[in-house]
Amino acid sequence: MRLVTAIVKPFKLDDVKKVLETIGVAGLTVSEVQGYGRQKGHTEVYRGAEYQVDFVPKVRIEVLVDDLDSTRVTDVIVEAARTGSIGDGKVWVTAVEDVVRVRTGERGTDAL
Amino acid sequence: MALRQSRVELLGRIEIRGADLRSTLSDLYDDWLRGLLEQGDADAEVALVAVGGLGRREPAPYGDLDLVLVHDGGPGVRARAEALWYPIWDSGLSLDHSVRTIPEVRAVAERDAKAALGLLDARHVAGSKWLSDSLRAAAYEVWRARAHNHLPALAEASRLRERIAGELAFLLEPDLKESLGGIRDCLVLRALAAAQLVDEPDVGVRTARTLLLDVRGELHRRAGRCLDRLLQQEQSAVALAVGAADADDLLRSVAAAGRTVRFASDIAWRTVESELSRRGRWRARRRVDRRPLADGVVEYDGEVLLARAAEPAWDAGLLLRAAAAAAAANLPLSPFTLRRFVAESPSIPVPWPESVRNSLVRLLGAGHGAVPVIEALDQYGLMSRLLPSWEQVRSRPQRNAVHRFTVDRHLMECAAEASALTMLVSRPDLLLLAALLHDIGKGQPGDHSESGALIAAQIGAQIGLPEEDIDVLTRLVRHHLLLPTAATRRDPDDPATIESVVTAVGGSSDVLELLQALCLADARATGPAAWSDWKAVLVAGLVDRVRIEVSGATRPVPAVLPEQARLAVRLDRPTITPLRWPDRPTPSDDKAAAGSESVGELLVVAPDTAGLLSRLAGLLAVHGLDVVTATVTTEGTHAVNVFRVAARFGRVADLDVLRADFTALLAGRFSLAARLGAAERAYPVPADTAARVVWFDGQASDATIVEVRTADSIGLLYRLTGALERCQLDVRSARISTLGGSVVDAFAVRAADGGLVGDPELRRTVEQALLAAVEGKPA
Repeated sequence: MRLVTAIVKPFKLDDVKKVLETIGVAGLTVSEVQGYGRQKGHTEVYRGAEYQVDFVPKVRIEVLVDDLDSTRVTDVIVEAARTGSIGDGKVWVTAVEDVVRVRTGERGTDAL
Repeated sequence: MALRQSRVELLGRIEIRGADLRSTLSDLYDDWLRGLLEQGDADAEVALVAVGGLGRREPAPYGDLDLVLVHDGGPGVRARAEALWYPIWDSGLSLDHSVRTIPEVRAVAERDAKAALGLLDARHVAGSKWLSDSLRAAAYEVWRARAHNHLPALAEASRLRERIAGELAFLLEPDLKESLGGIRDCLVLRALAAAQLVDEPDVGVRTARTLLLDVRGELHRRAGRCLDRLLQQEQSAVALAVGAADADDLLRSVAAAGRTVRFASDIAWRTVESELSRRGRWRARRRVDRRPLADGVVEYDGEVLLARAAEPAWDAGLLLRAAAAAAAANLPLSPFTLRRFVAESPSIPVPWPESVRNSLVRLLGAGHGAVPVIEALDQYGLMSRLLPSWEQVRSRPQRNAVHRFTVDRHLMECAAEASALTMLVSRPDLLLLAALLHDIGKGQPGDHSESGALIAAQIGAQIGLPEEDIDVLTRLVRHHLLLPTAATRRDPDDPATIESVVTAVGGSSDVLELLQALCLADARATGPAAWSDWKAVLVAGLVDRVRIEVSGATRPVPAVLPEQARLAVRLDRPTITPLRWPDRPTPSDDKAAAGSESVGELLVVAPDTAGLLSRLAGLLAVHGLDVVTATVTTEGTHAVNVFRVAARFGRVADLDVLRADFTALLAGRFSLAARLGAAERAYPVPADTAARVVWFDGQASDATIVEVRTADSIGLLYRLTGALERCQLDVRSARISTLGGSVVDAFAVRAADGGLVGDPELRRTVEQALLAAVEGKPA
């Protein structure tokens, strides 16, 4: 099993959610986060006026998936979250040792 | 076991409900308990007395049995008690019990407030009637004698319940018994009446209590257990059982009942405190304070009352004036005064006169002090009378976990939050009105922002706003969710996103500023989950981007000179003359039609000397005149000022005295500081004087605009203009705007060298001087 974690622009959340639903992802966790990546200390220029960016608000999406699905899930998230401009975010995949569904006690892929 | 079975059968008969269910259940318990007591050894003289719910013959289906076994101290009591309690325990009922003699009952009632309260419900069930009657008599005797000792503990218990169980009227899953305004508070009200400190609860409270008991009965029946918290999952079934249309209808009725009880409790506790302190005062021979608060409105003994000469029947503005004064002073309106308004207040002529509209804004601008006042108006049906659309949102629940309050209370809280943000905007009055109305469309079909905008437009016209202000108000209501929605769900880099916001605010930076402040006030009033730094950064980022695309409103540079002014300047004759002046009110005046307008307009022409504006402002303050708006210009060597003024306490200043003082002022023979100092001491500057100073460049070719936004107070204009003059700034023109309780004063100023005020160091000095002036401190 894998944990797919994506940091994306807030307004892309709906798009990401929609594509994940279409490929059958049953559940995801969303949190509001702030941070910075490459654009640290960056001053955006918007229509001729400078706009200071400190910590940038993003959403963090976490999805637990079967090993075989992780590449596909990652790809659709990247596709849906991309605007092509700086600050589009990142997606990473980590290995998960075990998962337990609290209500039933099911383990492993049964708990996904 | 037999009893439990009988109870199950009774609860299964769903046609028995409400008061019938409670009395039938009470009979069932009584018969069973009587049987148990009779089975015991008859040696000892005992009585079985029910207290609590059973004592009142209104047991909750799965509630505790509260019983007292009273005895005369003779032998055999232990055996009687065991013969009674064991079968009850064995039956599986929860039992709260005690065994006491009458002196023991007295002792417990004397030292324990909760026990004393419970004993007031004592009712004979079985055994010696004489013992039961003695217990009841002792309970009432002790309570009447000792109530004042128990009251602090009862008040503290009530505060604790509010912290733990919240307020019934606003919770989506209220605790019918313990939440503030719930069944427990009804009992406290009865106990205060039993102590002869307040009247018996009125029919409104009794009806509310019956509803809460009915709902609790059905809740227990559906849940099959002792459950006092009206959980969402049970609400639809309970609604059906008590005859409500649906879960929302049920929650609305429960909220309204909770509000009625809470309001009655507040009044009762206030009466109790006043009563007790009066007793103390009587002993100490102290005087009750009386203080005028506004025209026709006084404070008396911690409540806001009408002055002797005030006549609500022909003063349509009095209701809102009294409400605004109460909110500003953080005092309650007296119930007697509220009842007079209900009986006597005429409807306000449409469109509302400016003075009445100002009172509404002043009320809203009073901050959190306004909430209990508006609640009081609401309880007496006066809010719906002022704004008929209010009826739609009264006690309307919000099925959304981020919301803490019902719609109407949310609107009040939002206005209170907005009052803390008024200095961020150039039109505090529109911010406050939008805060009060932004969700007024809830409960209407379709998008509540759209229907709310239509209602807001109607209300705007009703309260007499100019067309352009109605347009702004409507925009604010229609788009009050736009900023948080666009900031979190739309691409801020997309020009279409920016364009949509620019269009929504009509291309105006002032409307954008208002929308941002409204968004913040709305979020703060909604609940802690509605706002976060995360959202704040996104909204601020969007607003920053939109601001580049919108234009600022032009700051006012007045004005066309009236003919009298030209003449006075030509003749070089200092003048103070009314352009418009109210007559003294008399009973024959149709004040209802006039809306108790006591606003006049004064033209003042005088040689332009340093400090003139400041001294004129001081002179008007000394004469009890509030400057509502002022336009200040210079014409050659003369200053030409037009002041729109309102009489603070309704007493129209005597023009002859004003002219004489004006002449003395110009001649340097008027002791302004001493006279004004006395007025300021009587009506001190409000404690919370948040203020903001904003500079506007490029709005006037020969001057810089500095704008001060803060709360109004006596002599404020005098202090502000004095501060500017001490900073050696020349005030070329000014626009003074009093918007409810807030002022937005814009001054076009020039530096001592005649140039613009651009030096950052000078600006800082001016800002400090202005802020010190707002706080009433010497610069």
